[in-house]
Amino acid sequence: MKRPYRRLSAGIVLGILAAATTAAADGQAMFLEKCGACHKSGGKASVINPADKAGQVWVNYFARGRHPVDTGIAEADMKQILDFISSHAADSDQPAAAVIPK
Amino acid sequence: MKKTLFAAAAVFLWCGSALAEPQTVTLPAADYQAIINQLKALQGRVDALEHEKQSPSGKPATAALPDSKLKKDVDSIYDTLDQVQTKTLKDKINLGAELRTRVDNFHVKDHQYFTTKTPMAPGHQESNDNSWTNRFRLNMDAELLKNLKFTGRLTAYKDFSDSASPNPDVIGDSNSSHLPDGSNVKLDRAYIDWVPEGLSVPLAITFGRHPSSEGPPNEIKENRKRQSTYPSLLFDGEADGVVATLGLERYIGWKDSGLRFAWGKAYQDSDTVNAYLDSPGGLDDTNVFATFFETQLPGVDDSLLVLSALKAKDLAANFTNLFNDQNAKANLGDIDLYGIHLQAMKIMKSNFDAFLSLGLDRTHPNGQTIPSPLGPVGLLDNDGSSSHSGWAVYTGLAYTIPYVPFNNPKVGFEFNYGSEYWFSFTSGSTELYNKLAIRGDVYDLYYIQPFNEYLFARIGYTFAKYSHGLSGFQIGDPGASSEELRNAYMLMDCRF
Repeated sequence: MKRPYRRLSAGIVLGILAAATTAAADGQAMFLEKCGACHKSGGKASVINPADKAGQVWVNYFARGRHPVDTGIAEADMKQILDFISSHAADSDQPAAAVIPK
Repeated sequence: MKKTLFAAAAVFLWCGSALAEPQTVTLPAADYQAIINQLKALQGRVDALEHEKQSPSGKPATAALPDSKLKKDVDSIYDTLDQVQTKTLKDKINLGAELRTRVDNFHVKDHQYFTTKTPMAPGHQESNDNSWTNRFRLNMDAELLKNLKFTGRLTAYKDFSDSASPNPDVIGDSNSSHLPDGSNVKLDRAYIDWVPEGLSVPLAITFGRHPSSEGPPNEIKENRKRQSTYPSLLFDGEADGVVATLGLERYIGWKDSGLRFAWGKAYQDSDTVNAYLDSPGGLDDTNVFATFFETQLPGVDDSLLVLSALKAKDLAANFTNLFNDQNAKANLGDIDLYGIHLQAMKIMKSNFDAFLSLGLDRTHPNGQTIPSPLGPVGLLDNDGSSSHSGWAVYTGLAYTIPYVPFNNPKVGFEFNYGSEYWFSFTSGSTELYNKLAIRGDVYDLYYIQPFNEYLFARIGYTFAKYSHGLSGFQIGDPGASSEELRNAYMLMDCRF
């Protein structure tokens, strides 16, 4: 009788893990995919860093249509990207440790 | 133009009359006057338009007016920008702040500690059903140049309704900002990161009062970014020193990899009169030398691996005040510490964060002992000559619940174990007790409720079962302990 319970427990754990994986928001991946397509070393546009501007400045930048070309990014994707950028922007919480030079 | 219109009207009327000579039109005087009035009105309108069209300078007025306004606006914007830029350049330090209010409900059974009194007998209990504290921090940073950055933090940490009383648990420089101690403002950290230009190798120098407290994995439970260079199981305290960091990423390709060489003082001998003399109190300084290799694990985003090796030479024990005995001070020997720390956030793009930290210590006593309420004590022993090894493990898991209406709260569980002779430098613990120093088992459960990007609450419960005593002290034979600690707490934290 123990084996079915074990299987059930294992199934529940796997289900929770799968749900968590699916639900995880991945603004970073979206940022790298959509923005990084052009903003990269040797790319069509210069390299950018979310910490280049404060979070609200990034929001204003796109709301005012200041990006020089149409990004073609869907609204929902743009929201994910802006959430990621804002959470890593100049005024966001920053890590503190002795610097490691590149 | 007026003449032109009148002439045209006259010609028109004449032509009309002439061409229609056979059909002479006779207008009533009132109608004729109405036509003339309309012509005059039209002429006035034409004159007005022509006047608007010509500016005094002869340029078209219709374009000159917006240009003038635009220029005025641009000048105003530049003036404002100049003021903002001037203020920005003058404001060399960015300021941020944190405020935390916390209430603890704790119960300790069979409590043991060093005082001038006789150690408490088994069965002694201490409890407080609502111990309230406030902690204020002023965070500072400045990027002076691209390769020169300052970071600092001032802290005031106090019990409610208690601004003056010194806290006897503040054992010294390493935890003065991390225990409630009146309303005094303390220097928690202040350091410079400098990456010298023109070197053939990527080298950084960090000097000052270091980011050496609340290190990995504290950021998981503290709901923030990494706060220290060193894994907290080995080193969690305020410390002054110098660190040289060699960047390895360009050589081995592992993101954020580096090799650190650190030096600091865990104890600098001084007294109130001859603060700058060498050994005025008769003790050698305790120098700490450490090497750390750290990197993000290849292929695992937002992960951290740190390998640590640390040696503290001439470990000092200066308990003259605590034991009320001027002879209670000596250098007791050296201690070696080794550690492996591994953590990963959002493992495999899931909502799980996890960490595992291992620590080892080995003592090298020099034969010295100091008098204490327990009798003579040496380095992790009472005879001053026996060498011991200890170890500890610290692991935990946190899960961010993907429930947006509740702002994605987090639940976490941590466990740590320290053996009989476990000792490391963790006196700067953020808890009211030194959790990672405990010789025994500690179970720690918490729930974090974010309210917005600045404010969160944490509730938690900790159970610690001590197997051996004198946790956190480098002196004395630990001996068996039946001490237990239960602590339920809640805190509100606002950071901006």
